[in-house]
Amino acid sequence: MAEKERQEESQTSVFLKSLFCGAVGGFIWGSVSSIAYFFSFSNVSHASFTLRSFFSGSWTEGLSGELISLVIVTILGIIPALVYYLFFKKFNGITPGILYGIGLWVVIFIVFNPMFYYVPPFNEMDYDTIVTTVCQFILYGVFVGYTISYEHHERRIVPKNSQKEA
Amino acid sequence: MMDLKFENRDVKLSKSIKKNRELFKDLLGIGVSFDVDYRTINVLDTDVDVYFVTGLNDKSHVNMVLKELLELNEVEHFNRSKRKVHEIVENRIVNYQVEEMDVAYDAVTNILSGLIVIVVDGCTKAFAVDVRSYPDRSPSEPDTEKVVRGSRDGYTENIIINTGLTRRRVRDDNLRYELIRIGERSRTDVVIAYIKDVADPGLVQTVRGNIKDINVDGLAMSEKSLEEFIVEQKFNPFPLVRYTERPDVASAHLFEGHVLIMVDTSPSVIITPTTYFHHVQHAEEFRQSPTVGTFVRWIRFLGIMFSIFLLPMWLLFVMQPELLPKELAFIGPNEEGNIPIFIQIILADIGVEFMRVAAIHTPTAVSTAMGLIAAVLIGEIAIQVGLFGPEIILYVALSAMGTYSTPSYELSVANKITRILLVIATAFFGVKGLVIGFTVYILLLVRTISLNTPYFWPVIPFNARALYHILFRLAVPLHKTRPSIVHPQDDKRR
Repeated sequence: MAEKERQEESQTSVFLKSLFCGAVGGFIWGSVSSIAYFFSFSNVSHASFTLRSFFSGSWTEGLSGELISLVIVTILGIIPALVYYLFFKKFNGITPGILYGIGLWVVIFIVFNPMFYYVPPFNEMDYDTIVTTVCQFILYGVFVGYTISYEHHERRIVPKNSQKEA
Repeated sequence: MMDLKFENRDVKLSKSIKKNRELFKDLLGIGVSFDVDYRTINVLDTDVDVYFVTGLNDKSHVNMVLKELLELNEVEHFNRSKRKVHEIVENRIVNYQVEEMDVAYDAVTNILSGLIVIVVDGCTKAFAVDVRSYPDRSPSEPDTEKVVRGSRDGYTENIIINTGLTRRRVRDDNLRYELIRIGERSRTDVVIAYIKDVADPGLVQTVRGNIKDINVDGLAMSEKSLEEFIVEQKFNPFPLVRYTERPDVASAHLFEGHVLIMVDTSPSVIITPTTYFHHVQHAEEFRQSPTVGTFVRWIRFLGIMFSIFLLPMWLLFVMQPELLPKELAFIGPNEEGNIPIFIQIILADIGVEFMRVAAIHTPTAVSTAMGLIAAVLIGEIAIQVGLFGPEIILYVALSAMGTYSTPSYELSVANKITRILLVIATAFFGVKGLVIGFTVYILLLVRTISLNTPYFWPVIPFNARALYHILFRLAVPLHKTRPSIVHPQDDKRR
């Protein structure tokens, strides 16, 4: 009985931690995205999606736009974490996270691309932008995926036949 | 006759002292090696042999033991029939550490460790008396982990002093020192230290198992050789365990639930499990007020980031100035110089590396001259000749200083390799090279696992509390729980 209760409790805590880590992931990689945008590594930042596609005005540009958008991205970051928690938490290692990140990128940059007025269509994006944003999504995916699966497996590394590689 | 050093470890001692003498002469090479010998004395009309290695034991102590034994002969009222001679001898050994053994191999190991072994005629047991006194230095402050204030003792090459220094700080009855002998020929003492009711038993078992599985001639480079057996390094340049020479750092980690490995003949103690972020902290931060400690730590983080990313970023902006926002447009060399920038960076970086490598083995008397030559040649002449632009020197020097501000020497060298690879990637592929290089760097760190511990914890996998502890050096009363990474049996610090 007590055992079961504790298990349920730990499951809810894993759930909350997953959502929290999604938000933090949104914040960290959102900031990285802003920096990359500042240095023109990429023509788009998260603000291009959340603000510039829907609003016009000088406040959507520059630092203010990035900061406001960062708040939004932090909240939005919870959603992919929730999805990962619901469907993929059983996986181990970082490969699922990488694939998940790439999947997210495809969904946002290709499937939903027409929704975002300010984001250039996929075939008009330059390679630097594509590479930079894909890398950001991969890192976000690994951040969320690896954390959730690590928490799900009670903070233990599941032993594999190949333990580590560099 | 008895050349069975490794094969026949179960040979028992014989009753006859003559046979034992032959056995030991053969096993130890007595008469060939000058430093191994035995001395025969006569106690109560019985031959007693004392085996020893000169140079590893305390002479006055040995003499005292012998004197006490010889005095047995002068005790008149002795009733010989009641007790056997070897019992009388054992009782008369004035030392608190006496061990009995009946296997020749054990006796040989003890003799070679510096103990004296006493063999009595007519008895199949030998007594090993601990009179060791190893050539040794006294604890002094380690070169690599200096602090402004606080204790100045450091580990030495003697494992007994090291365990003593640690126990002086951890008087817990649950502190365990497990001794294992490693190496067919070196027979090095290895101690696994942990606090029994805190450390994760699984981790202790893994470490113990890995150490026991070691099958090797000798651990000449002691702790480093051992490390390579217990963690799989492969081509990973990053340090997978942390070393410390400070007993206070070591005991702080014991309290957290880490497992330490000490190896005789080395002052460096291995701390396991280790993550990337164990290598970016330093004892000095904990000797200052929390705010100052945090400040120092952030500066250090900045230095470490500089050491990795400054040069590739700058190279990128030189190659593609259009990337720079107009506020930063001044960055970039005014004159390009005669060689491509990327070659200049690599050359200058290799120059700094020359200095570092040379400084390790240059005698102090010459190193001043070396510093002068290096500074003048690289700093001045290279610019005048037109080999380097002045800005190159600035940025290479900055990133070299970042390298030196990394507390872990091993990590700083690994980061240097990363930096050079990133510079090359950037030179060839521009933004794509840098971004992909950065991503691969992070992914490789995340992928690394050292003793079943994710190396990039607590960033990925993310742990808010632990990350908070790394970003801010908190006051000790606020350390209420042990870090979850070591899987402590007891979460609360009391």
